Amino acid sequence: MHGYANPARFLKFARPATGWFLWIGLLLLAPGILGGLFVTPPDYLQGETVRILYIHVPAAWLGMAGWAGIAAASLAQIVWRHPLSAIAGRAVAPAGATFAAICLATGSIWGRPTWGTWWEWDGRLTSMLILFFLYLGYIALAWAERERGGDGRMAALFGLVGAINLPIIHYSVMWWRTLHQGQSISITGGSSIAPELLWPLPLTLVGFSLLFGAVVLMRMRAELAAAKFEARLRRTSTE
Amino acid sequence: MNPWPFVFAAYAIALGGTASLLLWAWRSMCAAEAQADSLKRRA
Amino acid sequence: MKPKHQRLTLAVLAIIAVAAAVLLAMWGLRDRAAYFFTPAEVAIGKAQQGAAIRLGGMVKKGSIRQRSDGVTIDFIVTDGSHDVPVVYRGITPDLFKEGSGVVAEGRMRGKTFVADTILAKHDERYMPPQMGNEVAEHAAVKTVQQ
Repeated sequence: MHGYANPARFLKFARPATGWFLWIGLLLLAPGILGGLFVTPPDYLQGETVRILYIHVPAAWLGMAGWAGIAAASLAQIVWRHPLSAIAGRAVAPAGATFAAICLATGSIWGRPTWGTWWEWDGRLTSMLILFFLYLGYIALAWAERERGGDGRMAALFGLVGAINLPIIHYSVMWWRTLHQGQSISITGGSSIAPELLWPLPLTLVGFSLLFGAVVLMRMRAELAAAKFEARLRRTSTE
Repeated sequence: MNPWPFVFAAYAIALGGTASLLLWAWRSMCAAEAQADSLKRRA
Repeated sequence: MKPKHQRLTLAVLAIIAVAAAVLLAMWGLRDRAAYFFTPAEVAIGKAQQGAAIRLGGMVKKGSIRQRSDGVTIDFIVTDGSHDVPVVYRGITPDLFKEGSGVVAEGRMRGKTFVADTILAKHDERYMPPQMGNEVAEHAAVKTVQQ
């Protein structure tokens, strides 16, 4: 508990970084959103509903990246008992859960006019829904452990084991026949999205990611401040 | 089927959800840091 | 063994155990996990008569026929090598058209698939309208392969 009562090094980075993440994120997000809503042409097949791409894809990416962050923090917790890892996990979880929910909601809204249904139990949609429930489970577990004064190792184990869902979500459209379409973009380059339609996507991807980072930093600062408050309270009450 | 209500609903959910998340994190941070600083000033 | 190594071993073993369990489950469910049957699978008899299944493929060009009652349509779902005639009564989604991907929910009655629901399935290509019409041919074949 006392180990992170004064994590000066982290805060030295986090305080200015919060502002940078926030403002640069908003700066990139604004043209991405406006471009995606009003500037890009409609899709040859889907028409205007393709605009949901610019928010659905970042949400899916962040929902998954969030759990990857939780898994990394969980590993640090279990192997090295790093004092900041439990806080980091708890900081990421609400943000990851929010974007997973946004992914499911925007996906459903997109599916109704394009596929003809609000929901289907295919591989990708189902595994994404499972991820959202895993987030809720992690949040409940992590908060309960903190209340009891635990060091968060149960939550860390849950965070590690739950990571198995990430490759399942990613490869679902490849392993099984699904309703959800396959990859449009790969990291190794090459994309099946025409440039006229593609350009807002990196803007919203990076923009939302930076805002996600800002939220994580703010939540970590909040928990660290609360711990510092408790430590000072204990010090002053024993003097 | 008119696509625009779907598009606007999706954008509203995404932007509204993100804004709520940011607001919640911001307010919790400000409250906690203010509380911790208040003790520091007294001590 | 140092406590840190003990913890690492435990964590790795836990992950391997869960991964193995999940892979086993996925392998066991592999046919069930497929969202739909293809026309080729229907042709070799994989689809049970009368059972509720999904049929996926491409709507064969020139195959959509509306019946005289104005509500029922006949069309053919193809995967390039096999065709399955489908009959459907109801409203079709906007993206349902010839040369595009489709997933139909319903059951086999003899050689014909009686559909209760029609879902449009599209591939991962996105492009503006002018470019689209030329490429639509290639896109359709890709849809079926997925």
